[in-house]
Amino acid sequence: MDDLTREFLIESQEGLDRMERCLTELEERPQDKELLGEIFRSVHTIKGTTGFLGFKRLEKLAHAGEGLLGLLRDGKMTAGATVITALLHLLDGLRELLKTIEARDSEGDGDDSALIARLEELQAPAQNAKARNAGAAPAVREAAPVKAGIATAQPEPAAVKPVQAPAAPPAPAPSPPPNNIETQAPEPAGPAADVAALTPAEASKSRAQGAASESTLRVDVALLNRMMNLVGELVLTRNQVLQATAADPNMTLLSRRLDMVTADLRESVMKARMQPVSNVFSKMPRLVRDLTHALGCRARLQMEGQETELDKSLLEAIKDPLTHAVRNALDHGIEPPATREAAGKDPEGILILRAVQEGSHVVIEVSDDGAGMAVEKIRSKAIERGLLSAERAAQLGERDLLQLVFVPGFSTAAEVTNVSGRGVGMDVVRTNVEKIGGKVEIDSRLGKGATLRMRIPLTLAIIPALIVRSISQSFALPQGALSELVHIPPERASTAIEWIEGAPLYRLRGRLLPLVFLDRLLMPGRECRLFTDRDNFIAVLDADGRRFGLIVDSLADPEEIVVKPLNAVLKDIGVFSGATVLGNADLALILDPGSIAIKAGVTMSSDEESAHAVEEESESEAARMRYLLVEVAGRQAAVPLADVLRIEQVPLSRIEYIGYRPVLNFEGQLLPVEDSGGILAAAAGDPEAQVVVVVCRDGNRHVGIAVSHVLDVTSGGNLFEAGTGNRTEGVTLLKDRVTGVVDLGGVPPLPAHEGAPQAWQPTAEVLG
Amino acid sequence: MSTGISLLHRKQKNEALVEVCSVRVGATLFGIPIQHILEIVGKARPQPIPLAPGFVGGLIHYRGDVLTTVSLRYLLDLSPLDGAQDVLVLESGAGCFGLQVDSVGEVLSVSGVDFEPNPSILVERRRTLLAGAYKLKDSLLIMLDSERLDPARLGPARLEPARPSAAPSA
Repeated sequence: MDDLTREFLIESQEGLDRMERCLTELEERPQDKELLGEIFRSVHTIKGTTGFLGFKRLEKLAHAGEGLLGLLRDGKMTAGATVITALLHLLDGLRELLKTIEARDSEGDGDDSALIARLEELQAPAQNAKARNAGAAPAVREAAPVKAGIATAQPEPAAVKPVQAPAAPPAPAPSPPPNNIETQAPEPAGPAADVAALTPAEASKSRAQGAASESTLRVDVALLNRMMNLVGELVLTRNQVLQATAADPNMTLLSRRLDMVTADLRESVMKARMQPVSNVFSKMPRLVRDLTHALGCRARLQMEGQETELDKSLLEAIKDPLTHAVRNALDHGIEPPATREAAGKDPEGILILRAVQEGSHVVIEVSDDGAGMAVEKIRSKAIERGLLSAERAAQLGERDLLQLVFVPGFSTAAEVTNVSGRGVGMDVVRTNVEKIGGKVEIDSRLGKGATLRMRIPLTLAIIPALIVRSISQSFALPQGALSELVHIPPERASTAIEWIEGAPLYRLRGRLLPLVFLDRLLMPGRECRLFTDRDNFIAVLDADGRRFGLIVDSLADPEEIVVKPLNAVLKDIGVFSGATVLGNADLALILDPGSIAIKAGVTMSSDEESAHAVEEESESEAARMRYLLVEVAGRQAAVPLADVLRIEQVPLSRIEYIGYRPVLNFEGQLLPVEDSGGILAAAAGDPEAQVVVVVCRDGNRHVGIAVSHVLDVTSGGNLFEAGTGNRTEGVTLLKDRVTGVVDLGGVPPLPAHEGAPQAWQPTAEVLG
Repeated sequence: MSTGISLLHRKQKNEALVEVCSVRVGATLFGIPIQHILEIVGKARPQPIPLAPGFVGGLIHYRGDVLTTVSLRYLLDLSPLDGAQDVLVLESGAGCFGLQVDSVGEVLSVSGVDFEPNPSILVERRRTLLAGAYKLKDSLLIMLDSERLDPARLGPARLEPARPSAAPSA
């Protein structure tokens, strides 16, 4: 394909995209001259260029469309629904042809006569009218090309002055074979009225477009990718240069400059890959139009934040989820007009697409003011499908239940329509969004509507990751899938893991979490066990609803990594999603949590997982308090998390004494330190010793509590006294153990350093 | 990074002259047409990849990209070598990859007249790897073809010799 054809294809595609946007708008404002002019120009440009390039089929089709559009623009016809449908078909036909040309460099030998006939048929009434007035107003047809010829070829102000407008040759392209309409009006002398229709606004617009094309440039995406790679390399080299020159004062200035320039360059290249979300949003009006017609509902589409920018590859990736979300909103959300009226709503529903940047993410929302989702229906459906036990379903809050619609195969649609209802839509939305490191959630109020929210990272090429080590290599674990880290100290290593017939499990806040040993996964045949001589770490991962713990040897720093693709041979292994170069120039493979879960056989047993996952996120369960679980001299105790201000590790030497009361000079204030566990006393004498102090709030004073370790943050259950059913005070159920809650009020105020300290008793007795 | 290669320019006006980079693996001299070579990374230590097919030597960092290397020793059933090795960055239809060899020698100009295709007695598995040989004065220069060595083409199973210890559990 030669450059000219390629250029033509790109420009025509853009023209058709514009046309699609305008057509859907046209339905709202059928009289809008500017819109009609824009649509006319798109088709006319295609017709003009195509004749020049010799694509006859395309030219014929465009010509037929142009005829209809000319009548519309001149106000001889009004753009009713049938006309717009026909024009949309014309658009599809043109697109199809362009696609064929792109693929085969020729138009193929399809037949467009039906479409052309339809387009001409629509022109008929106007033509008849014209024929009647032929004597009065000649040369109506030919006026159209003249005007467009002026608009595109001579955007000078002169063109708007009707008196000076010459009988310009119709467009730079050779004139098409005149059809019967044109022979009726062979005089190309456009009447003044027609040229006057070219408003100054139109002329300045075409001028503005000319200026834009001079200051922009088409760049191959592959080249941008290459630039991104090279910038990644530069960042790495810079890191090494900075390290190497850190000690040399002469180099400081230079290396700082290098640092800055590199950062700027990286930002610019990333920016070059950004595109406004309007590129995807602009496909939606057409979709909404087609669907509302098919479904018999009425909806108005509002789009906000179209200028928000997103990496090109991500933009591609959200196209499908967005389409699904819009389909869903129209099919399940917005009710038929009659139902809406009965409910006292505007018969026309509103569908809002909104994009907004929030930090390093772009949030895309699809909201409708439709029926919303019936939580009870979801609840019963979930029970019916065996996704949840009835008991569990009764416990879940509304918001949590709503998220169940993302479970594969879950659909509340009473019947399968051809638009949606097969239960794959929402699943696809979630899978696609999570694939690019995003998150998706849904909100709904019955009768008021629903909102689907997608959080998309700004860029794919650079992702935050935690570097972990196993089999003496570094691996990168994407932060997106990481929900928490569990540390298992050597002394707990032998008891921390529980087994069911060779399947390792960890009890995380009372639930059994399937475990995967990374070293065993990577080197089959290794023994599964924790180290009793050093720390062990479990990375709790949530990959597409598969929740499991990955046991790694050690944790290194979190790092922003530049993702590099892997050779196909290595992708087939199915554990790695890419590779990256770390700051210290080491290579690291990027682990793919989803594939690891599948490889290890972690399933999405939905009852466990989805219910669990939503429970984790649930903040509504006010009844369950969150506690900081600490260990004090071998016993466990709980501190209400809401009261914890911070956790400080301080050298023992910083603990001072007033009488025998230990105090800590903390940010200029004196903090009484509670030490009923005798930790301070035990560490006394060791000048290197560090103690952990949990700084808590008690009313409006602050107190410190010396602890041996901070273990976890966990939810506590209330305990009830047998017989009386009274709630017990001072103890709570943590990890199925009855644990004493630290009584902060019991820590005596500072001046009263006399008197026995009212010790809280860590009653960490295991009951069964 | 790249080791200096002394070019042997024999000013011969023979049109069939081919410039070949010689590499040594074990005791054998192999040759690769220089137009397939993008760069030579000397003294590289490819990072091993767990679970990868045996012929994959590891990953190396090359100009902002991460390349997969192919171990020629493995393909020739030789025991792996400890320590740094030279890696040739080769271009094939599917992209770039690294070829791990013991050492890179000089560039030789060989004449098309001296070329012989693979002998018929060569075992099948070797025949798929090698691309004939040039007869040098005192030895043979066995030709390698970057297309045939591309890891994507070597595939996970086809060339995998029966080595239970290295067999991946894919």
